Amino acid sequence: MRRRGRTLRLWLACAGLALAASACSPSTAGARYFGKVTPPDGQVLRYISASEPESLDPQIGTGQPEARIYVAFFEGLTEYDPKTAQAVPALAERWDVADANQTFTFHMRPQARWSDGTPITADDIVYSMRRGLSPDFATRTSYMAYDIAYAEAYNSRAAFVRDARSGDWLRDEAAPGLRLVVPGDAAAREALPPALRARIEGQTLVPVRAEDIGVEALDAHTVRFHLARPVPFFPGVLSHQFFRVVPRQAIERWGGTWTQPGHFVGSGPFRLDLWRPYDRISGVRNPMYWDAAAVRLDRLTFYAVEDQTTMMNLYKAGAVDATYNHTVPAAWLDQMRGLADHMNAPENANEFYYFNTTVPPMDDVRVRRAFSLAVDRDGLAEFRKTVTPLTGFVPDGIFPGYENQKTESFNPLRARQLLAEAGFRDASGAYDPSRFPANTIEILYNTSESNRQVSEFVQAQWKQHLGVTVRLRNEEFRTFLGTRTRREYTGLARAGWVGDYMDPFTFFDIFTTVGGNNGTGWLDARYVALLRQANREVEQARRYALLAQAEARLIEEQPVLPLYTPATNWMKKPYVKGLYPNPLTLHSWKHVYIEHDPAKWD
Amino acid sequence: MLTFALRRLLTTIPMVLVVVSLTWGLIRLAPGNFYSGERALPPAVERNLREKYGLDQPWYVQYGRMLGNTLRGDFGSSLKYPGETVNEILANAVPVSATLGLLAYALALVVGVTAGTLAATRQNSAVDHASMAAALVGISVPNFVLGPTLVLWLALTWYWLPPAMWDGWWSPNLIMPVLTLSAVYMAYIARLTRAGMLEVLRSNYIRTARAKGLPARTVLIRHAMRGGLLPVVSFSGPAVALLLTGTVVVEKIFALPGLGNYFINANLNRDEPLIIGIVAFTAIVVLVFNLLVDLAYGLIDPRVRY
Repeated sequence: MRRRGRTLRLWLACAGLALAASACSPSTAGARYFGKVTPPDGQVLRYISASEPESLDPQIGTGQPEARIYVAFFEGLTEYDPKTAQAVPALAERWDVADANQTFTFHMRPQARWSDGTPITADDIVYSMRRGLSPDFATRTSYMAYDIAYAEAYNSRAAFVRDARSGDWLRDEAAPGLRLVVPGDAAAREALPPALRARIEGQTLVPVRAEDIGVEALDAHTVRFHLARPVPFFPGVLSHQFFRVVPRQAIERWGGTWTQPGHFVGSGPFRLDLWRPYDRISGVRNPMYWDAAAVRLDRLTFYAVEDQTTMMNLYKAGAVDATYNHTVPAAWLDQMRGLADHMNAPENANEFYYFNTTVPPMDDVRVRRAFSLAVDRDGLAEFRKTVTPLTGFVPDGIFPGYENQKTESFNPLRARQLLAEAGFRDASGAYDPSRFPANTIEILYNTSESNRQVSEFVQAQWKQHLGVTVRLRNEEFRTFLGTRTRREYTGLARAGWVGDYMDPFTFFDIFTTVGGNNGTGWLDARYVALLRQANREVEQARRYALLAQAEARLIEEQPVLPLYTPATNWMKKPYVKGLYPNPLTLHSWKHVYIEHDPAKWD
Repeated sequence: MLTFALRRLLTTIPMVLVVVSLTWGLIRLAPGNFYSGERALPPAVERNLREKYGLDQPWYVQYGRMLGNTLRGDFGSSLKYPGETVNEILANAVPVSATLGLLAYALALVVGVTAGTLAATRQNSAVDHASMAAALVGISVPNFVLGPTLVLWLALTWYWLPPAMWDGWWSPNLIMPVLTLSAVYMAYIARLTRAGMLEVLRSNYIRTARAKGLPARTVLIRHAMRGGLLPVVSFSGPAVALLLTGTVVVEKIFALPGLGNYFINANLNRDEPLIIGIVAFTAIVVLVFNLLVDLAYGLIDPRVRY
């Protein structure tokens, strides 16, 4: 009896060990790919596109997961290049630029059709812009179009001022080509500068209407945009979801339910035919699409999955063919990095810390510089596994022709010298950590495992190299956003910026105002002037040179502590072709196809 | 009994209103808004949104509107998913959660009651020890361990079952979620049944039934089970109500479009109409199931009278 008990225990122990071993050992050891590589029958792509989209209306959904789906069903005047994500012609065949980057004329394809067969004309573009900017429609992405003349004015219910006697419009003194715009709300006008208040006293206020927005149809297939300021990268902005053309005929007929299958009318290479919320959205080839002959997939399905492990399980079992960005869990990266189906590339995004430059000791640029120099970014990148170290501010390697500004990345000796110069020194003049008010500063971040790891790494670096221990504080995401904007933190706050469009300016724009996205309190006239000058420049190389000067100025003043450029980090089966790791992870689905011949796999 | 049921149903209405009022107050206390994101919105855009959704009105107007919506059973449109009304979301998600929950509970009842009864009638035998050991494991292993373990073996090692996702009411996709979800209930029901049956089997009326010469089967099923299953019945009310209204962990692991996912995300998104809708629905289901349990007592236990 006793012996039998012992044998049983031995068996149990063995079984337990076997289970543990099978759970831990990488089942892909020696394999080129992760899991099953059996292509689906026919031309079908099954793609995990993050959580349930907010809406299938491209002017409502705000995020990247939505944008990814919109590319399948809606087209804009321009589209993302599958490899570089730069603007390529779509509904527009070509465009002309005039007036120092302030007027853009787009020549549209006459053969473009909605999925219901009616032609897509310049009037549809005008309608889409007016709808998106309507204050009653109240979409969160309308600010993307604020560069268009009077777009912001219309969207914020502002008013023009007409001279009561002559009937002439008052002009904007800062931009003489434009009419003066003042808040439509009387209380807000009270807050205007006295000189301006005196100027509009007794004049007639005329509300800005949709027709005043700087977009006009010159003929059925030509549309012109008048901008409020020079925007050399405007065609790239037009690939954003807000500018994708929406069907007036379906919206006016069905109202809010026009995006339901059955009511749906689209302009993209695919046509919606199934939508099960929190489960899947599926489209079939749109025969009316102007380039339908080039579309290879017969069906494209987006799955809504939220849990990373579940995504990887589905991928491994061959139930899906590709996933969106940031889907490989950190703990799996060592195993996945070497595989041929792991897609990684620098992203149009950066990860950094804001300094609160209005509160000591971080109001001293030497202190900010010292804290930046005391972080080993190569070590951080090694720790994070997929990212690339960042010492400038613009992500490295995604804007061809742009010369990233780099400074010395890691120099603890110089960091300690700088702190000594800033006054934290003993009698002999050497740096003395005990003089530094470490207890007054903190790193504030929004609650997440990954953010905690990064801030602990940085905290340890400072302890090691500067001898100071700063506090870490985390807040739930939406609470954190308010704290950061109001600068209710001392020291540093985490920030991550994802570019809205493929131009370095999307990163520089953060610091052109105080408040809003700029949680540093830093505003520099020279920096802003350099950016203005750059955007008036027509020639790309000269413009990039000016932007690089602005970046150099930003690094010199150091209102931020750059950390790294994130990486796209996603999976794609080798039989999926035409899907590239571009910096936005926004894919032009019409180029994608399934290769059934294993000899041609990636 | 009918008046009892009606009276209880009527008290449901004020109770639901109290629950949604408390929830509404808690949402106000949470900082941030449905439209706040990594990117700060220009003030004009924020003002347009607040006007569109009536957030610029005084709190009592907003509160009154919420109460009115709840009484009418129309919670309005979700803020996060503006194309969908809360009622549409409930209509899509509840059947998924309910299918999963009811299948899991049915499985748990069949296995749990059988195992518990067998264990009770053969107390201290090998069957008793084995089933109670299994029940202990079932209670101790959390579903976020059991689910992925099943996936690891059945879906990723042997490729027998699909690892996740919804594919209709009757599909192999449901096998692992149902097993995962039912394990803990199965174990709990087995233990409740065993304890209840053991107590009843020792009581006088069972001895009388045996003494009358009734067959063992009749004694067990007609007499012992009616009393022995009472603890299971009172456990079932809240358990089924919770299963019906979504099971976050299992729905996440298996990527199922049920109510649990919506509820968690609605809170993170500060999606007030959706939160209120789901809370009101959950409150109603819990209250109704408690009523059903009370009514079931009357049917099963001859001692209970209304």
